[in-house]
Formats: sequence, C-alpha cells, structure tokens
Amino acid sequence: MPTDRIVIKKESAIYAEALLEAARQQDAIFALSGQLETVLHAVRGSIDLRATLADRTIPAQTRSGILREVFASLDPSLLAVLTVLVERDDIALLSRVNDAYVQRAEEALDAVIIDVVTVIELDDELREKIIAKYSAQLGRQVLLREQVDPSIVGGIVLSTHGRRIDASVVSQLENARTVLSTVSNGGER
Amino acid sequence: MKVFEAAKKKLALVPLAAGAALVAFPSLAFADEGAQPEAAQGGGGVELLVPNPLEFVPMLIGFILLWIILAKFAWPVITDMLDKRVTTIRDSLEKAESAKIESERLLEEHKTQLEDAKKQAAQIVADAKAAGEAVKADIVAAAQVEAQAAISKATAAIEAEKKAAIAQLQSSVADLSVSVAGRLIGQDLSDADHRRVIERYLAEAGSLNAN
Repeated sequence: MPTDRIVIKKESAIYAEALLEAARQQDAIFALSGQLETVLHAVRGSIDLRATLADRTIPAQTRSGILREVFASLDPSLLAVLTVLVERDDIALLSRVNDAYVQRAEEALDAVIIDVVTVIELDDELREKIIAKYSAQLGRQVLLREQVDPSIVGGIVLSTHGRRIDASVVSQLENARTVLSTVSNGGER
Repeated sequence: MKVFEAAKKKLALVPLAAGAALVAFPSLAFADEGAQPEAAQGGGGVELLVPNPLEFVPMLIGFILLWIILAKFAWPVITDMLDKRVTTIRDSLEKAESAKIESERLLEEHKTQLEDAKKQAAQIVADAKAAGEAVKADIVAAAQVEAQAAISKATAAIEAEKKAAIAQLQSSVADLSVSVAGRLIGQDLSDADHRRVIERYLAEAGSLNAN
C-alpha cells in the first residue's frame, strides 16, 4: 500500500538520519556504514536471530539485551539505534534503514559506496584495482564496504544502488549445476 | 384284372359242360341202376350203352329245370358277388397303385426335402463357420489392438520413467559434482589463488553504472 510504503520510508529515513547524525559527530560516517552492513549481513544470515529479534512474545528488553550481547563490539550510537529498532518492533526495517543511511552517507561523503564480498580479506592492490575500475565507470569517488564470506567459495560479489555483480565461484557452480541438470541426453528429450 | 375276367368266363361254362356231359353219357348217370337189372337179368351189351328214355327224359328235364333255376336265381348272385369281388380287388389294386405312386411321390418329395435339409444344414454349418471365422478374426484383431495399445502405454510409461530416472540421476550427479567441486575449490585454493580468481573475475565483471 502506498501509504504504508511512505510511512515505512519516512520511518527508515528517521532512523538513518539519527544514525548519520551520530556518525557525523564521531566523524565515522563510512565506518558506521560498514558496521551497519555487518549487522544487516548477520541478521540476514541467521534465521534464529532474525526471528528472535522480531518475536513480540519475547519482552522488548530481553530482545534488546540479546542484540547488545551479540553486537557488543559495535559503535554505541549504532547499537543505540538498533536497540530502538528492536524495542519498537521495527527490526524488519533494518534493510531500508541501511539503504537510507548509505544514500545519505554517499551524499555526505560525495562518494559511491560499493559493497564487496570476498572469501579472503582484500589487500591494498586488489582494493585499488576495484576502486580504480569503478571510479572510472561511475565518475565518482568509490568507497568499499568489505565483507568476508566463505560461503561464496571464491571470486567476488559487488553491489551498489540495487545493482549487483555476482562473480563468485558459488554462483558459477550453481550455473554449472543448472546446466548439468538440464542438459539434453543425446537428443532424446 | 384280365385273370379275373378269364376266371369269370370259365365259371360260366361249368354248368353248361356238366349238362353236356350228362346228355352225352346218360349211362354214366344211371350206371349203378343199369348194372343191377343187367346182373339180375344176366344180360348186357348194347342195352347198357343206350339210355333208357324213361329215365333219361325226366332227368334231362330235371337237369334243365335245375339249370334254369340256377341260371335264374343263383347265377346272378354269384356273378354279382364275383363282380363285386372284382370291383373290390380292382379298387384295392387301384388304391394300392395310387398309394404306391403316392408313396413314391412322397419318397421323392422326402428325398428332395432331405436333400434340401442337407443343403440347408451344410449352408448353416458353412454360415456358422464363416461367422465363427469372422468373430475369431474380430476377436484376434481386437486383442491385437488392445495388446498394441498396452504395449504403447507401457512403452510410454517406461520412457517417462526412464526420462525421470535420467533427470533425477543427472540432477543428483550435478549436485554431487558441484558439491565436490565447491569443497575442492574451497579447500585447495590458497589466498594467492583466491586473489588471482578475484582479479580475473573483476576484469571480466560488468558495469555497476545504472545509467
């Protein structure tokens, strides 16, 4: 429903603004975006965590306690915003909050933030190659939010502004599996 | 019939012959009477051969009277009886003849009917055989069609099962291959290998520019 979407967008913007303001005060706009991406990745990757944080039968304080325990190493201002999200039963907005924050962070930093997922930590050489390639393509400064995820087996996954380049080994293997599963058997199909 | 006619004529001659015999030989009729006087008289000869008119005439008259009486009263009855008998026998013979003809006709008719019946029976048997052959052919044809349909159905089912089995096997092989390949790649690639892979994929990767 348009009304709902507008409300959701407004709510997400409020959380993102609050987070951006806190980050601006610490001069850690980009660093906070990386932490936000880490939280989003963790919540997306764990069904139990996602279900627990969204479970209204569990008291809000208990859920926020779990959140603080799991993400104890995060920036306190980010943790405070996340706590409000959980206590107000808005954890489902986390992805939209991330998008809104990234959008504002890019405006504030005058750069494009690209999420990069690899199996190993990027070294400076790789980082520079990625930045050089996409700075040239996009015509703007590029900042990389790096994630290490062994589940992609190898290769690299890049995404920004809703566009995604999946050059991971796992997707290649998945393509190979699809081809092997559907390949014709000597023309008898 | 001619035999009866002849017998009838012969019977009509019997009284006449008897009368003629008596006239011709009167001494025979009176032989016993003539013999006694001759023996008594001790004579014989010609007298024995010549009838005595005193005896002969009354006897002739008597004979004629008897003949007339017989001819008047007995003979018509006898001839009528014989006629009736002849008629009866003739009728019987005619009836027998007609019966014989009728029986022969019936025999012929029965023979004809028997032949017809035989022909009909043969025709019925032939028809029954033909009908049986037709039914047999129909049953065999229907059975063949049914068998062919069953074979086709079974072949299609087998083919479908085969395809499903091949697809399942293919999918299993693909899953297993990919799983093994993923594990091998994950285990065997060093950091340097991963970097090379990233560089190569990065070089091949498309644009992130939405415009």
